[in-house]
Amino acid sequence: MKWISQDIDMFLKEKQYVDTAVLPLLPVSFGDDIKQSVAMTEFISLLSVQLERQFRGRLIMLPGFAYLKSASEDSLIGGLGQWESELKVQGFKHIFLLTSDSMWKAFEGQLEGGLIWLPSLPLEHMDENYRNSILDDQVKQLLNLFVQKWQNGE
Amino acid sequence: MSKNRVSRRQFLNYTLTGVGGFMAAGMLMPMVRFAVDPVLQAAGESDFIPTKQKVAEITETPTRVDYTYEQQDAWYTSEVTGTAWVYKDDKGEIVALSPVCKHLGCVVDWNTDKSNPDHFYCPCHGGLYTKDGTNVPGTPPVASLDVFPYKEKDGFLYLGKAEPRKEA
Ligand code: FES
Repeated sequence: MKWISQDIDMFLKEKQYVDTAVLPLLPVSFGDDIKQSVAMTEFISLLSVQLERQFRGRLIMLPGFAYLKSASEDSLIGGLGQWESELKVQGFKHIFLLTSDSMWKAFEGQLEGGLIWLPSLPLEHMDENYRNSILDDQVKQLLNLFVQKWQNGE
Repeated sequence: MSKNRVSRRQFLNYTLTGVGGFMAAGMLMPMVRFAVDPVLQAAGESDFIPTKQKVAEITETPTRVDYTYEQQDAWYTSEVTGTAWVYKDDKGEIVALSPVCKHLGCVVDWNTDKSNPDHFYCPCHGGLYTKDGTNVPGTPPVASLDVFPYKEKDGFLYLGKAEPRKEA
């Protein structure tokens, strides 16, 4: 389900079936790494759309967690921590953080939710068909990962 | 000369009717257009979407068939990819099923649950459907998978809009 009124109505009605929250992590930078931050944000956004489409009945796709690359690591981790604890209080059994930014990998131990890191691909240089098949592939891997985590958690 | 003179009252009458008429037309035209347009459009739209699937190559095993179409979302048009599960049944008839689970809308897969081979399986809450799309009682879905009407054209499969299955 997406963060839109129509889907949230369904969420409120069928809450018992929705045990998973997904938070895309979206970096923003205006420095030398501006292009890179855009590519990561774009890639993760594309993947989350597909992911939501496949699993819409069991997960809620949150609007992304956008953050400044220039912000201090402490404040970033603190901010994300607040999201995680809120989602936990709300009763989500599975919390997934979706990112391309390798910075988060260093802090995996400090995060409670499952961090899913995928290297972002240089999509801008690919032709449409190739791009779609690559994305399809990535989505498939991601789907398997979710199914596995769900099975292990049960 | 004085006979043809337009009196002040007549002049005002003419002009006001004229202007009023324009105003009324200005208001009515769009309304008429709103009312008529959807009807005209629906008739003009071809409702079968081509796929890349050759009809001759459809087997008895459900296979994923993708199709793309343009979707209008308010003011925003985007390309959307849809999927169907397509196979030939015992009688050689083509069956095209919607992959959207009738419980809460996840995408179902064919033959992925080891304990229930040859079923459509929904990874979200374990929904099961038999090959013909009938929901297995005791699993969350309460209806059969939707069915696509289809057409064959130049050897390729065309899909219409998926509809709930009519209960036999
Ligand atoms: S969405 Fe398929 S079983 Fe719930």
